[in-house]
Order: sequence, then C-alpha cells, then structure tokens
Amino acid sequence: MSSEVKDFNHKVAPDWCPGCGDFGLLAGLKKALPSVSLETHDVMVVSGIGCSSNLPGFINTYGLHTLHGRSLPIAQGFKLANHKMTVVAVGGDGDGYGIGVGHLVHAMRRNIDMTYLVMNNSIYGLTTGQTSPTSGFQMKTKSTPFGNPELPLNPLTLALGSGCGFVARVYTGHVTQLIDIVQKAIKHPGFALIDTFSPCVTFNKINTHQYYKENVKDINKLGHNPSDLYAAFREATREDCITTGIFYQSDRPCYEASEEETLREPLFAHKLGISREEETALMAEFV
Amino acid sequence: MMVHSKQRNSVIVRIAGAAGDGIASAGEFFGKICARQGLHIMAYNAYQSAIRGGHVWLQLHVGSEKTLTHGEKPDVAILLNRTSPAVHIPDMKSGGVVFYNSSLITEDLSKMRDDLTYHHFPFLETVNVPGATAVMANTMLVGCLIEVLGINHELGLDVIRERYSKKGVEIVDLNSKVFERGMEWAQQNAKRFDLALKGDGKKRMFLTGNHAFGMGFLAHGLKFYAAYPMSPSTGILHYLATKAKSHKIVVKQTEDELAAVNFIIGAAHAGVRTATATSGGGFALMTEGIGLAGMLEEPIVVVNVQRGGPSTGIPTKQEQGDLNQMLGASQGEFSRIVLAPTDTEDAFHTAGRALNLAEKYQVPVLILSDLFLSEHFQTCVPFQVKQPIERGKIQNSVNGQYKRFLITDDGISPRLLPGTPGGMYCSPSDEHDEEGIVTSDVLAGLPEARELRIKLQSKRMRKLEAIRREEMRPPTLTGPQDAEFTLMGWGSTYDAIEEACQIFAQFGTKVNHLHFTDLFPLPTEKVLEILNSCKEVIGVEGNYTGQMAKLIRMETGFHIKRSVNRFDGEPFTGEDIYNRVKKELAYV
Repeated sequence: MSSEVKDFNHKVAPDWCPGCGDFGLLAGLKKALPSVSLETHDVMVVSGIGCSSNLPGFINTYGLHTLHGRSLPIAQGFKLANHKMTVVAVGGDGDGYGIGVGHLVHAMRRNIDMTYLVMNNSIYGLTTGQTSPTSGFQMKTKSTPFGNPELPLNPLTLALGSGCGFVARVYTGHVTQLIDIVQKAIKHPGFALIDTFSPCVTFNKINTHQYYKENVKDINKLGHNPSDLYAAFREATREDCITTGIFYQSDRPCYEASEEETLREPLFAHKLGISREEETALMAEFV
Repeated sequence: MMVHSKQRNSVIVRIAGAAGDGIASAGEFFGKICARQGLHIMAYNAYQSAIRGGHVWLQLHVGSEKTLTHGEKPDVAILLNRTSPAVHIPDMKSGGVVFYNSSLITEDLSKMRDDLTYHHFPFLETVNVPGATAVMANTMLVGCLIEVLGINHELGLDVIRERYSKKGVEIVDLNSKVFERGMEWAQQNAKRFDLALKGDGKKRMFLTGNHAFGMGFLAHGLKFYAAYPMSPSTGILHYLATKAKSHKIVVKQTEDELAAVNFIIGAAHAGVRTATATSGGGFALMTEGIGLAGMLEEPIVVVNVQRGGPSTGIPTKQEQGDLNQMLGASQGEFSRIVLAPTDTEDAFHTAGRALNLAEKYQVPVLILSDLFLSEHFQTCVPFQVKQPIERGKIQNSVNGQYKRFLITDDGISPRLLPGTPGGMYCSPSDEHDEEGIVTSDVLAGLPEARELRIKLQSKRMRKLEAIRREEMRPPTLTGPQDAEFTLMGWGSTYDAIEEACQIFAQFGTKVNHLHFTDLFPLPTEKVLEILNSCKEVIGVEGNYTGQMAKLIRMETGFHIKRSVNRFDGEPFTGEDIYNRVKKELAYV
C-alpha cells in the first residue's frame, strides 16, 4: 500500500489568514511525506502554541498539539518511546527561538532522529503583532512602537554552533525547494532543523512574500558544499542576499545509536515487568 | 525521657566529620554488616549543600527489634574532625562513649562534659598498614565499632570481599587488614558495650527510599525515566541509570525540569510506562506539564521529594511543605492523584501503584516523598512485587472512527497507541471534541462549543470521582480505640508518630495514630467517619501551616484545632513528637 498526498488531507481546513506562508509549508509537507514512502499512520506531527502550531490539526497523521515552546521535549520523548515512527515537530519562531530556544539547543546537540520545521515570520501573530526573536533591529511592532532595540537571532548559526547535523532554510513560497529539503531532512538520520520564511500577511509588513521572492538565493545552486561547516557559517551570515538551501549536513550517528540494544524493539512494545529471578537480583544488591 | 528496659537491645551511633571524609560510605558499610546479622537500622544523614568543607554526620539507630527513627541522643560517637566536638558532645546521652580522632582533635574534651568516656584514637597513625591510605581510616573505624558493639566481624570481612573482589585480592587483603586493625585497637583500648544486640539472622537490605522508588518503578514496568538533577530526588536517577542497560529502559537526563516532564508526556503518549522525579523547585517548573497531562489525559508519574522551602530554601534538609503545591499545580481543573508513602517499603509499592493508577485513569499521579524518606537508609526485608501490572483501557485496532476522547460513564476513553493504521488523531492542549478536534479557536463561544466544553470537562472530571470511590484508601487508625487523643500525620512521619505513641503508652497515656497516604482525592465520607470516632485530633506536620489539616477541613469540614509543626529542617523523631505534643497539651 502506498499513500498519496490526498490521504494526508484533514477534514478540518486551516484557520490561517488568506495568504499566510504556513499554507505553503503544509502543502509541501503533505507532498513530501508520501514521496518518502510514509503512510499517514507512520507519522507523528508535534507542535507547540501559535498560529503555525495549529498545523497538526490540519494534517491526517498522528498529532500532538502541546505547550508553548515545549514541542521538542515532547517530540523527543515520543521518538525514544516509538522510534519506528517518523517524528516531525512544527512551530513558529516565538515557539522555537523564543520560549523554547533552550530545548532547541539541546535537541540539536542530542541529535535524536526527527525533523523540526520552524515557520518563521519574524513576528508574534496569534498575540496580534509583537516583536519576535527574529524581528529585525529597529522594527516597529505593537510592543516596540519606537523600534526593536534588540538584534535578531540567527537560527542557522545557532544550529551550526550547537552541533545540529542538518541545517537548512527555505522560503515556503518556493514549494519545489521546500519539498526537496523536507524529504532530505526526513531521510537524514538525526535531528534536522529547517528554518522556513513563512510570511505573516497580517502583522508583518516588512518580511513579506514580495521581500523573500526578491531577495532569497539558493546556495546549493550556487555550488555550496553542505559538508563544509566553515562555508556553512559564511553562507549563514551573508549580508548581500538572503541565503536558502541546505547549509550543513553531517553524518554523525543519531542519539538512538547509543541505545542500540534497548531500542532493538520500540520501547512501547517491550514486555513489562520483571521475573522473580530479576526481582531477587535487584534486592540482593542491597543485602 | 525515653524509657529503656534494663537489658539494652538498641544503640544509637553517630559518626561526624568533614564533607568528603567518606562518612556516608562508612555508614553504609557498617549498616550492611548489621543488616546481615539480622539487626534493624534506621539511619539519618545530616549534610549540607557543599561537596567539601561542610560538617556532616550520620546517625544510626541499631536494634534487635525494629528501630522506628534514628533517635535523638547518641550512645556512641565517632568524631573525625576539629568541628566535631563542639557540635556533638552536647548531644550525647549521659554515660555515652566518644571515640575521637586525636590526630586532629587535640583539646581536652573532658572539660566539655565529664559524664562521658573518651577514647583518643590516633586514626592516621593507627591505620598505618603498608599500602593503606588515609581514606581507609573509615574501614578501621567500622572495625572498631563492630568490636565494641559485639557484632560478628566475619560479616564485615564478607562485605569487604564482595565490595573489593573486582579490584583484586591485594585490595581485599589490605582492607581486611585495616578493618582488623580497628578491631585490635578496640580490644586493647576500649571496653565492649554491655548490649544485647541479637539479630534474628534474617538477611535484610540496607537502602534508601530513593533506591526503593527506583526499584519499585523498575519492577512495575517502567520503561522511560527522564529527570534533571535536584537534591534530594537525584538518587532515583542515579539508581535507574545503573539499571538502564541491564533492564532495557531509557534513562534520560534532560536540560531542565520543563524538558523532563514533557519528555515523559511524549513517552507516555507512545504507550510507555514513565516517570520523573524532582524536588519542589523543579516541580514548580513541571507545573505546566502536569496540566498538559491533565488535558491530554496522559498517564505520567511525578515524584516530588520535598526539601525545606521556599525557593532554594534549605536544599539538604527536611520539610513537608509542598502539599498545597501538589493540589494546586497548574491552571484550571483536572483529575489528579496525590500519594504520600509512609516508609521505604511503601515507596517501592507506591511506585508500582502510581504507574497502575496513572494508566488506568490516564491522569498525572503525583507522589510526595521528602528528604527524610528518600535519603535515609534503613533495613528492610526484601520487597516482593504484590501488584500485577494493570494498563487500563487500551485498544489495538480500529473499527470505524476512533475517538481518543470518547465520552464514557467513568470518563475513561480507551487509548489507541500511535502508529496503528486507520486511527490517526491529534491530541491538543486546547479544548477539543471527542475526536480531538480543537473547539477553542474559530468555534469558541458558539453554542456548540460551549456544550462540548461542558461534556469534555465533565468527562475528565468524572475520573476524579471514580478514583475517589474505587481507589483511594482511607487513613489508617492504629493504637487503642479509647485513646485520649489521636495524632494525625501523613507520608514519611508514620514510624516517628508510632514511636511517639509508644512513649506515651510507656507513661500511661493512651494515644492512637491516624495516618494518611492517599491525600487526593480524599475518600471524604470514610475520612469523616474515622475523624468523628476520635476524641481529639492533633495534627503532626513537618510544615508551618498544617497543610494536611487544612485539606481535611476543606474536604470534610472537620476542624483539627491543635497541631505540632516542625520546620527547622530536621525530621521528627518519636521523642521529639512526644515532647512537642506534651507542650501543646501542657501536660507536665
């Protein structure tokens, strides 16, 4: 049995604003999953809180729509308990780079096999337009009416510096590139971060579809070698254009390799309890 | 004070020195030897939040019969460093014996008290067996103790053999020699105590509550444990980490407590038995996760090992101050269970019971331990698993539309493990319908959403009533029925209150003991019936405000008017409770 894109359609239609960049991501994800031979029941989509975090309710897979900033710990715990499923975490820039950034750093260095898609719109949308960790310097928002005094966070250099084994960025309007990168991220045996430019058409008048269409450049088409970490840092900090593509991919083993014996069977399928002999042995240690 | 029979069959030993002197390890060694002789021990470790430089001591109450607490005044003290005399000599029982390290302590101790016997013991010089190091002085001290207390030294040599056999015959021999050196010194320089310390020959374990929690989880199907280190809960993490490979469980130290609780929620959702442990501060961070588990109906177990609060408080000291925190953890209303085991063995069984209750009712189960229960060592006969693993309603396949939050009479909806073909659903932290579709966004406030809210919230809350009715154990009432008054306690104070009742009995006062382990939801009617049968109830709580008495009043309307409260950081003993209650009642 092989699945098709339509199998991933959910009866609930997204409640995002018309033109929201998240539509592109959802469409791309629904195309990428069957293209890597995944069935709807093979996939667990985990999100936090925010407009983009409503996504698990709009895709016909297993889903968890959790707490603001906590999608990654839940996704990682789930993956270790059932590593046969494909785990995709999704959320916004506030969720992943603001309240949840501590978890992100550790998830990247830990390297559990999963894909994290951040719908980055450089604004807080669901709370109606405050500054986000990726809002530009001096950007005027409802919470920074005189301009944002803080510098934006660079998720790519954060990822490269945290040991992330798969670091990519894409504009959600470029669906072909998006699907290609999501496919590669899912196949990558480890933690994969995809920062996606997913414009908020309601509250961000700077980082618009037009802006990204005019400014992004695919570094993989320009000959960037994703195994070169230093080149990846260089591409991630370029100021002449906005770079997209796969910046870095390493082949270091994923976390699950350290639990090889234990995870021969998925944890949830293990037989429970101990034998009388094991019980006696546990007690004997303290006698 | 304490009334002792003429033939003493118990003794209180205190070992004191600097943090890093290896006192805990010496105590464990000594405890194991006594336990093998079939003696009972209750040991309490007083320490500070410092790795070196603090002053620490271990008190061991050893007896032929069960010793209920670590006791108050030591009969024997071993003082290792210069700080020791000033702290411990005033605490000694009159007629007690002090062994002190005369390599370091040079003052004339008899000037401090003249009712004690002092043995100057040049530890460093005496330990001077070729190849021995200063740390081995502890092994020598245990040899000395074994000799003066008249305990079978062969058991000591057995323990040494087992401990060091991996390191080779030479190390075994060296430690044995040092141990015997301590015995020889005692034979030549001290008198054997006039004690009737007879073991019953039953081999007992010597372990902490944290070991028992860890073992209890392991024995009852735990497969995933995540935690962030926090005293005094970390012992559970340490224990389980050593068992991860052999028992094929995943043990994960996470970046913080937010991650720990959410890791286990993820694992629980996948269908794995899972738990975490922390102390009050870490539990505060886990609070939003507890609420998420309530909303998503995920079976998780969280142990809160209480210590002195608020905030960082007194991290290495005792308190029962977090009951209110358990009851009020997280916004909104949802079903939860709060259990407080009484002692080390109960910790083992409570761990298993909590895993069962969590899965059966798909709720967060919160276990309240405390520093005393989790960290004190005591002897226990080996535990036996009594409860079969009960996983509650789980369905393995789907017929038609699967509804994760199906409305049922008891409020429990069958779980379907993710990965099952045809059963896809999303569990949202937002309010949702039976299928898990969010009703809090575009539908919020519409008549349909309001009706669903009532149905789903009522479904979740019905579980609480089922738990109250079917599962919650009423408090135990022990002691004479015609008691003049009743001491009410909860959790780890069980044995201390029993000891207090015994002391009252020795003085001819009839006192009985009401004890709670199942704190929430309370089986209200049964609780009230028992309370009404008591003449007068006095609360005994390790906190300032009497949180349990307040909970009882809130749930039953019964007002416990008198109480004794201890919040100086030290655990109750029977003698201490006796004195406090006497004062409260103005008995003379």
